[in-house]
Amino acid sequence: MLSKNLIAKFAEIAGKNVWTEEEDLMCYAYDASFGEMCVPEIVVKPETAEQVGRIVRLCCEENIPLVTRGAGTNLSGGTLPIKGGCVLLMSGLNKILEINTEDMYAVVQSGVITADLAMAVSAKGLLYPPDPGSMKMSTIGGNVAENAGGLRALKYGVTGDYVMGTKFFDIEGNAVIAGGKTVKMVTGFNLSGLMISSEGLLGVMTEHTLKLVPQPQASRSMLVIYDDLMKASVTVSEIIGAKITPATLELMDRFTIKTVEEGTRIGLPTDADGLLLIEVDGHPAAVEDEYAKIKEICNKLGGKVHIAETLEERDKLWEARRKALSSLARLKPTLILEDATVPRSRIPEMMQCIKDITVKYDLTVGTFGHAGDGNLHPTILTDKRNKDEMVRVEKAIDEIFASALKLEGTISGEHGIGSAKAKYLESEVGAGTIRFMKKLKDGLDPKNLLNPHKMGL
Amino acid sequence: MDELLKELHELEEMMLQCMKCGTCQSDCPLYRTDGRESSVARGKISLLQSVYEGRIENAGRILKHLDQCLLCTRCLKACPSGVKTDEIFLRGREVLRRIKKLPKWQKLILKTAMEKPELMARMAPLMHMGLKFGSKKIKDGIYRPMIPGLGGRNVVEIKSEAFVKKYGGLNRADNEIMRVVFYPGCAVNLIYTEWGTAVVEVLRHFGVSVYVPETNICCGIPAASMGELEMYRNAVKANYDALAVYKDAAYIITSCPTCRYGLYEMGPKQTGAECPLTVVDILVFLEEILSVRLQTGAEGRSTIHFPCHYQDSKKGLVENFVRSSTNTEYMKLDNQSCCGFAGTFSIKYYERSKGFSRSKIEEMKDKKTDKVYIPCPGCAMQLADAAAREGLDAEVTHPVTELYNFIKEIK
Ligand SMILES: Cc1cc2nc3c(=O)[nH]c(=O)nc-3n(C[C@H](O)[C@H](O)[C@H](O)COP(=O)(O)OP(=O)(O)OC[C@H]3O[C@@H](n4cnc5c(N)ncnc54)[C@H](O)[C@@H]3O)c2cc1C
Ligand code: SF4
Ligand code: SF4
Repeated sequence: MLSKNLIAKFAEIAGKNVWTEEEDLMCYAYDASFGEMCVPEIVVKPETAEQVGRIVRLCCEENIPLVTRGAGTNLSGGTLPIKGGCVLLMSGLNKILEINTEDMYAVVQSGVITADLAMAVSAKGLLYPPDPGSMKMSTIGGNVAENAGGLRALKYGVTGDYVMGTKFFDIEGNAVIAGGKTVKMVTGFNLSGLMISSEGLLGVMTEHTLKLVPQPQASRSMLVIYDDLMKASVTVSEIIGAKITPATLELMDRFTIKTVEEGTRIGLPTDADGLLLIEVDGHPAAVEDEYAKIKEICNKLGGKVHIAETLEERDKLWEARRKALSSLARLKPTLILEDATVPRSRIPEMMQCIKDITVKYDLTVGTFGHAGDGNLHPTILTDKRNKDEMVRVEKAIDEIFASALKLEGTISGEHGIGSAKAKYLESEVGAGTIRFMKKLKDGLDPKNLLNPHKMGL
Repeated sequence: MDELLKELHELEEMMLQCMKCGTCQSDCPLYRTDGRESSVARGKISLLQSVYEGRIENAGRILKHLDQCLLCTRCLKACPSGVKTDEIFLRGREVLRRIKKLPKWQKLILKTAMEKPELMARMAPLMHMGLKFGSKKIKDGIYRPMIPGLGGRNVVEIKSEAFVKKYGGLNRADNEIMRVVFYPGCAVNLIYTEWGTAVVEVLRHFGVSVYVPETNICCGIPAASMGELEMYRNAVKANYDALAVYKDAAYIITSCPTCRYGLYEMGPKQTGAECPLTVVDILVFLEEILSVRLQTGAEGRSTIHFPCHYQDSKKGLVENFVRSSTNTEYMKLDNQSCCGFAGTFSIKYYERSKGFSRSKIEEMKDKKTDKVYIPCPGCAMQLADAAAREGLDAEVTHPVTELYNFIKEIK
């Protein structure tokens, strides 16, 4: 419990947007991760960058742990206030400050919802490519802090590839300006780069300058059906090997296909073992050419190709992909979505590992994911009340990550480390890297007030 | 308290389905205005869970958060896990309500509306008079009341004669091809009586005879939204009994999506009983069952407000209807949010509910629309109030009234 005096100090800065009632605190004791509830002591929602700076400084002076929260959609426990303290909501900083079509950049506050930015940009004929599955609710600040990727990441890259500049406050409340509006900029350390994937551990970001690109002129989508999932996985490696970069290349396994079809009746083949959803975009001539080559590769590997001829058909195909998670989610009370990622040539091996682990621990797992960039989402369906099964789930997750690392992959392709994956971090990066990160963190935040305990720091 | 915990536990199964993914934030009108978790489904569910898992002792305190919900079902539709948010919130309110009792005046109005429907109809002329004396007419059919309790809201006129008084019984069509029951609901019965007339006359024109129940029993949703679920269940059952009498009718027609939702979607879930006939919205009936093609002369720039409880799969149908049966230039609204009426929400939180309607009216002003088609009387009241307040001179009406105007002319 914070003292009345302290609460008043917060209220002096953020007015009525300060909450300390039990029921308000309980609303920030969770995020989208599968973790234990952690209750903060105070919740504030600043509305200007200046207020953010003052709140950060106050927390620093009073030794109050500070957790920055965007939309709380991270799947790794990144916004759980493990040490209590203050949860700082960014939803009040939600203005798009500028969309510059000449120099092709946008300046936005951190609390802007990704889809709102994407829509505003597209209304001006440009494209902001990062499109995480959560874009309708996640914030730009959260995207930068997690370096979120999306369906288009294969060709267009992830959020980090679009950050030109970021303004943030360090723990003392000093305003830091990183990067800016020029394409080239080498003034000092690459501090915007430092903030990418920083998960709220190094500072509180308030504003971002983001690169925009022209909208592609044409696109084509196809659905390819396989009677053997392994052949679908091999297709992925071959397409990449043929030096073609589709905008999207998504994979779904038999269990997921069946579940999606049962839930939606889109018309997916329920006897298929795997399917790929592929979209190429760009100049019309290039699109036709790439599309013909991909079709040939798919046919060669026994894939049956269905092409979307109209916009409606295209939407229908993507609906199948979008419905993957939701259809799985309806089967069991608890859903644990993992994020193992491997170099894309190793997808077939990784798919095999997941299959074996599922059998070994007798679990229900549906796997789908961004096969084009090696990012798979083995999704475990369980019930957290079933203690016996939860033990097996935990072991399976350990093994999934161990397998990904053995295949020279990573424990997180896009969902971050947070508290959920902290225990695996060292096994991927080694003790030296952890020490380096620790020193960095200690130097910038000696009292360890910024999102403590995340990434094990 | 033990009793309460037991009942909350029954909600547990439903709530466990929520994986806290946050997808419900995307469309929640409340969250979009305040960015707070207590507004959105995920937060409300967490609060209920906190009560039964013992993290919050004073359960009464979370009622206000559950109460501040439009019951617009946007979260229900957005939720990937299929969490039945509407059921959870309704039942959650019911349970919590026992701790904090309903204010007396609200209960009295409810009781009258639910249990003495004849009285409501008989009171119509009185309310009609009362409204006229206590208010200032600012536009045809719209009054600004001087009663402070209504917070300065402009209200649509309560008619001196209830709709069922005039139309109760069988309204025969000349070349009868089928019979249906028209369920007007309270708002059409007492306020938008002209919508009721339009529905009956248009149906008759197309050879459909229409039964109108002599007494309109409220669908019960207002009670449900106040946490009086038992009252709601009773209303649903009373309606089912009353409607079961029409053995030769093929459908129940309604012009209020909330009534349809209350009787046909939520009703069976809450009572375990079946509605005696399929309930169909009037526009859906005209398009899908009668395949009506009529080109009315309506002109101007129109737009449509889609009510939250209108069946999602049929929203395109409403657009088609407006496009094909009027000569108006249809301007789709970018703002597809709830109008803010949401039954009792707009009475309890008028200031907040004004915000939703204001932003819609702003867009209508920008788009220079002079006709707003709304297939729901509740939304029509809210937006008529907002239009009068924000200075938009637009006609607010149900698309079926255009058909009726046209038919009257050609007769
Ligand atoms: C259904 C679903 C689908 C998803 N799909 C994808 C996907 O396709 N790709 C993907 O990469 N991720 C995905 N995610 C994960 C998640 O949406 C992303 O990580 C997203 O970037 C989080 O944004 P947020 O605004 O919710 O941030 P939060 O969850 O609120 O915060 C995430 C982290 O960022 C920090 N943070 C937030 N804002 C700031 C700030 N202004 N300054 C400093 N630190 C800050 C927080 O402290 C926390 O550590 C998905 C999640 C869900 C639930
Ligand atoms: S969308 Fe559904 S599962 Fe996700 S947080 Fe909201 S209610 Fe829970
Ligand atoms: S019913 Fe509507 S207002 Fe209520 S929580 Fe769901 S989306 Fe929000």
